[in-house]
Amino acid sequence: MITMKTIIETRNLSKYFGKGKEIKAVDGLDLEVYEGEAFGLLGPNGAGKTTVVRLLNCIIKPTGGTATVNGHDILGEENDVKRVTGMLAESPGLYEKLSGYEFLEFMGALYDVPSEVLKERIDDLLRLFGLHERRDHLVEGYSSGMKQKLLIAAALIHDPPILFLDEPTSSLDPRAAHMVKDLIKELSDTAGKTIFMCSHILPVVEELCDRIGIIDEGRLVAVGTVDEIIARSGQETLEEAFIALTGGAVDSELLAWREQVAKP
Amino acid sequence: MQSPKWLAIARNEYRVQTSWIRGLRRFFPLAAAALLAVWVYYLAPMMVRSMVNDFLGFVLSQVAVALFEIILFVLSVFLTIIPVSNALKEEGLGRVELMLKAPVRPGDVLIGEFLGKTPVYAIVATALAGLFTALLAPLGLSLLQTALIILLAFVTCLSSFWIGTVLAAVARTTIGRTAKGKDIGKAVSFILVLPLIALFYGLIGGNILTALADPSTNRLVSTVLGLFPSSWAAEVIVAFANNPSNIGAVWALTLTRIGGVVAFMVGGLAAGWMVADRAYSLEPSGLGATEVGPDGAFYRTVRLLGGGGSFGSLLVSVFKDYGRRLENLSQVGYIIGLMVLINFFFVDDAGGARMMGLLMGTVMALFLCSEATIRGRENLFIYRKTPSGVGRFMRAKLLQGWLTVLPFIAAVMLVSGLRFGVAFTWPYLTSVGNALLIAAANVSMAMGLSFANPAYSQKSASYMINFQLIAFLALGAMIIPDMVLHVEWLHMPLAWALGLVLLYLGYRKLSTME
Repeated sequence: MITMKTIIETRNLSKYFGKGKEIKAVDGLDLEVYEGEAFGLLGPNGAGKTTVVRLLNCIIKPTGGTATVNGHDILGEENDVKRVTGMLAESPGLYEKLSGYEFLEFMGALYDVPSEVLKERIDDLLRLFGLHERRDHLVEGYSSGMKQKLLIAAALIHDPPILFLDEPTSSLDPRAAHMVKDLIKELSDTAGKTIFMCSHILPVVEELCDRIGIIDEGRLVAVGTVDEIIARSGQETLEEAFIALTGGAVDSELLAWREQVAKP
Repeated sequence: MQSPKWLAIARNEYRVQTSWIRGLRRFFPLAAAALLAVWVYYLAPMMVRSMVNDFLGFVLSQVAVALFEIILFVLSVFLTIIPVSNALKEEGLGRVELMLKAPVRPGDVLIGEFLGKTPVYAIVATALAGLFTALLAPLGLSLLQTALIILLAFVTCLSSFWIGTVLAAVARTTIGRTAKGKDIGKAVSFILVLPLIALFYGLIGGNILTALADPSTNRLVSTVLGLFPSSWAAEVIVAFANNPSNIGAVWALTLTRIGGVVAFMVGGLAAGWMVADRAYSLEPSGLGATEVGPDGAFYRTVRLLGGGGSFGSLLVSVFKDYGRRLENLSQVGYIIGLMVLINFFFVDDAGGARMMGLLMGTVMALFLCSEATIRGRENLFIYRKTPSGVGRFMRAKLLQGWLTVLPFIAAVMLVSGLRFGVAFTWPYLTSVGNALLIAAANVSMAMGLSFANPAYSQKSASYMINFQLIAFLALGAMIIPDMVLHVEWLHMPLAWALGLVLLYLGYRKLSTME
């Protein structure tokens, strides 16, 4: 149930890269995400999705504009923001030489989870994610799916109300991806977490998210429910809408060389 | 009550460092302390017993301060490089992001990472201190002097490691961010060691001791290195050796130098803490993607050498893939540098230069041509897929190996020949030609074996096996005819026979690989 209370709000948020700030990774982003909803940020590769996640998690600083996360300003209340968010990065770092338990214990310490709570929470999370049997095994021996589950568990170790998931299924096989999708659904529907998910895999976003935003070359080009976006773009499917909005149509002239080759 | 963040990070780092002895982790501090005690009180004194008289004679001589300064400076630089080199080899940005998304101060991360590795560093420092005290003990140092030497060894080592940790963090998040940066990092980590090797060779070969006996050189070295804290420790150690059990005679020097070393460490810690924000930043760096221009004279020549047609294009592509990795170029530079240094410090006649030429062929083939399959299985399948691709790929790699190795051997041998005034004599030129042909055979061996037993990473067992086997075969082909059978001329045919057999086996393996 969406309460419509804004939990993430960006105002003209921008991040420019390069010596002359010529690369606009995020350009004037205005966005609202509501408490308890699963929001999906869609975009082609290099559209700026990961940069948005890093900005909203105070990992990098914006060039312009600002944002609040659960009422905390990302420019001045960084630690407060970090305490209310969990994040699964696109290329996450893992300590392969730690066991699953040790890794979660370390993450708990980084987020100041009281030691009397931490032990029980780690056990709960390991059981929830089906990793309890392997708790003392080194992470290097885990499968991709198990590593992803461990990383999601690490993102939840301090029980944050907001969860950022950057391409949570892109590197997984169908079985592991299915399992991760179920988990995300569970976290959103049952645990009441606000999910902010980035992906370029349309069916995943379509299946899991209440609302989506489409970002292209750093600019938000559409926002709404899947049906609203399809209707607004005048297309029939989300894939067609996505291609229309991000300018990805195939130019038939590019394939003209085939006819020339075919000619004797 | 929450433990400080730096402590959590340090504990985590310690767990990572001691992961290989997880079951015995709780006994590690005790076992390490016991082993170090055995080293300091028993092994080190026993080891240095045979050389202690020479050493004491040296430590009381006029070159002692400058030489100690050099040794400690080299050691400090080496200890600084280790964390940087390790950081550039591994891909640790994901871990940086892991820390940055948590409410942790970058300074805590820096201190935590350093402290977590300190037990390992402390072992190095204790081993070093044990060596110094064992060497100086016969002079009759007082307990205080011994304790101060141990303190100096600790502070000097830990300062170097701390600087290395800070530089490593900066390197990881700046040049380690992009593929180009990682390549630069790996290349630099190779080359950085070369000046240190030069110094060690200079010490072993005796050239440095001779040079330091000259008062003006000695003064120059002391003046330059005197700016570094490692030299302050060296001054104290030599002063104690000259005044055993009489610290009062050198109290001013002791106080100022030890004070300086400790102040440097404290200042270094503070400076590191202040730059930590910059060190742990995922803000984009200036390194972007590399853009290439049209082929220059070099690639045009390589294309011509390949016949100009499709094989020429293939050869150029193989060369570009190899030559555009700075890591490879740095490896070539490192091996050549090493060979030049050995030639310079240890070869003193034309016979030695000839032998070095043969050795260079083995070493260069070993280090530069055992990587033919290191870029992964997928690269090989590209050639499997194309018509006659395997044979053409192998020919191109072989030609690339010869063009990489042979010109350098010729150049180094000719320079050595000039040094001994024999460069353009017929017998010497014949031996250069002989060394080149044998080097070409060694390259064929190395390439052939790396195709016959493909290794897809430098950490794989296949790579290590190939490496040892090539060394064994190349040296065996030299030693058995020359020293066992006493039929010198057999060296070249044997090397070529091995090379051709291995190339054939490599061809068969690549052609049938699934």
